[in-house]
Amino acid sequence: MYYEVSVFVENKPGKLSRVVEVLGNAGIDILALNVSDDGQFGVLKILTAEPSRTQQVLSTANMTVAINKVACIEIKDEPGGLVKLAKAIEEAGLNVKDAYGCILERGKRAVFVVKGDDLEAIEKAARSVGLKPLESL
Amino acid sequence: MEHIKDPVGSRFEWMSTDEIAEFQSERLRESVAQAGKSPYYAAKFAEAGIKPEDIQSREDITKLPFTTKEDLRLSYPTGMLAVDPEQVIRMHTSSGTTGKPTAIFHTRQDIENWAELMARCLAMVGATSKDVFQNMTGYGLFTGGLGLHYGAERLGMWTIPAGAGNTARQIMLMKDFHVTVIHATPSYAMHIAERMLAEGDNPKSLELRIGVLGAEPYTEEMRLKLQDIYGFKVFNSYGLSEMNGPGVAFECTYQNGMHVWEDSYLVEIIDPNTLEPCKPGDVGELVMTTLRRTAQPIIRYRTRDLTRILPGECPCGRKHIRLDRMIGRSDDMLIVRGVNVFPSQIEEVLMKHEWVGGNYVIHLTTVGAMDEMTVKVEISKTSFDGSIETLRKLRDHLQKQIREQVGFSVHVEVLEPGSLPASEGKAKRVVDEREGR
Repeated sequence: MYYEVSVFVENKPGKLSRVVEVLGNAGIDILALNVSDDGQFGVLKILTAEPSRTQQVLSTANMTVAINKVACIEIKDEPGGLVKLAKAIEEAGLNVKDAYGCILERGKRAVFVVKGDDLEAIEKAARSVGLKPLESL
Repeated sequence: MEHIKDPVGSRFEWMSTDEIAEFQSERLRESVAQAGKSPYYAAKFAEAGIKPEDIQSREDITKLPFTTKEDLRLSYPTGMLAVDPEQVIRMHTSSGTTGKPTAIFHTRQDIENWAELMARCLAMVGATSKDVFQNMTGYGLFTGGLGLHYGAERLGMWTIPAGAGNTARQIMLMKDFHVTVIHATPSYAMHIAERMLAEGDNPKSLELRIGVLGAEPYTEEMRLKLQDIYGFKVFNSYGLSEMNGPGVAFECTYQNGMHVWEDSYLVEIIDPNTLEPCKPGDVGELVMTTLRRTAQPIIRYRTRDLTRILPGECPCGRKHIRLDRMIGRSDDMLIVRGVNVFPSQIEEVLMKHEWVGGNYVIHLTTVGAMDEMTVKVEISKTSFDGSIETLRKLRDHLQKQIREQVGFSVHVEVLEPGSLPASEGKAKRVVDEREGR
């Protein structure tokens, strides 16, 4: 089990740069960033190696932040690297609500971040095909 | 000015100033005595130490206590009923108020008098039984629909009770039945015109000659624009459910202020802060007393509308005083799309939701010709759960709840905490950027 940090942002110029600036100033490296947008507002999802410090830093900067559990599954960074995991999730009949990926080491390791109703079941499905859920990044 | 024979047959329309004064004094005595038959006024007069015999002429009105919206709420449902319930044939309630509505009752005679007042208004602007009249305001508890309807029928007009909305049908009816007179809010009249123009149709191709527009304040510029687009005459109408509804004050063909039917209403203009009468011609709060309603007389009702009595005589020859356009409200009530809205109604909805923070702003704009309301609300910092779905649900929920409360669609924007300007003293909850304001 791992954690991602979500930030509520109004859809206005300068909102994204403010978030990344605050993180940059705090020396936090963004591994992945995902934007969901609903026109007037959106939610940024940020994956870092230090989720709780990320939350704290953004919150201190007066942003509206939440921290949520996600399953981070390590996969190979190669063509078709995601196939094994996707099939395992499919075969287990699990519902994926939200997902994104990022490369940890080019050509070697990547991570697939998954949210769903049952994270433990997703991690279990990953293990069943020899993939490793990460506890830290 | 040749005085045409009054088509409604009312003996009141052409009263002289002296006759009006005498009639008002006589009617005020009776109205106060009648009001005293209701439990609420009986108690209110007793508390103020007023006996009906204290009121001899209309000048004595200042001895009487004011009646406010709060009195109407406190007397809800029937505390101000001054007749045997058996005599009541109709009630209305005021539009869009917080909590309990305010109910107004009518006997058969009251309804007939109201219809007569309304018919006088319509005849005054030149409508006759030869006209076809399309009534585009809501029927039901709102007084605009039924009030105009009864007046138009009383005048003998071919009356189409179209009600509010359904623009395509409104246009079809106006064309198919050669409608010559309409009643609508000014913004809706503009909306129809814009729709027609957008569809390559010309509003001037309609046979309209008179537009009775009211239920929301509008500027002289809006009147001229509408007259130009439709090629008809627009007349301003003022009314409020507490004083029956439409038919209280109406422009004549000179379009120079709204005549108040003084045989039915006694008008005062007061300073809303000191409650003292204003100097003649000064702007103040309009205070009205019913003179002919029996089911529920209302004494010195503080309308909260700000206006003034126009000086001089009207070239039409009628001696009934004229009111200027309403320049605003002495309280914070908003009139949006003809509906009364209190910011507190919006606040009530917002504050019920745990996700909502303390700060919000009601933003009013004009889109096309319609009022548009956007409620900008900050979410509370602690309740954010990281899900965009929850935010969507919150927005949709608030939009639905507010629509149910105020009766029209609104936009809700959810904002980050701290993004609205922090209040300095009294919070500025309303930003009104509508055109002509």
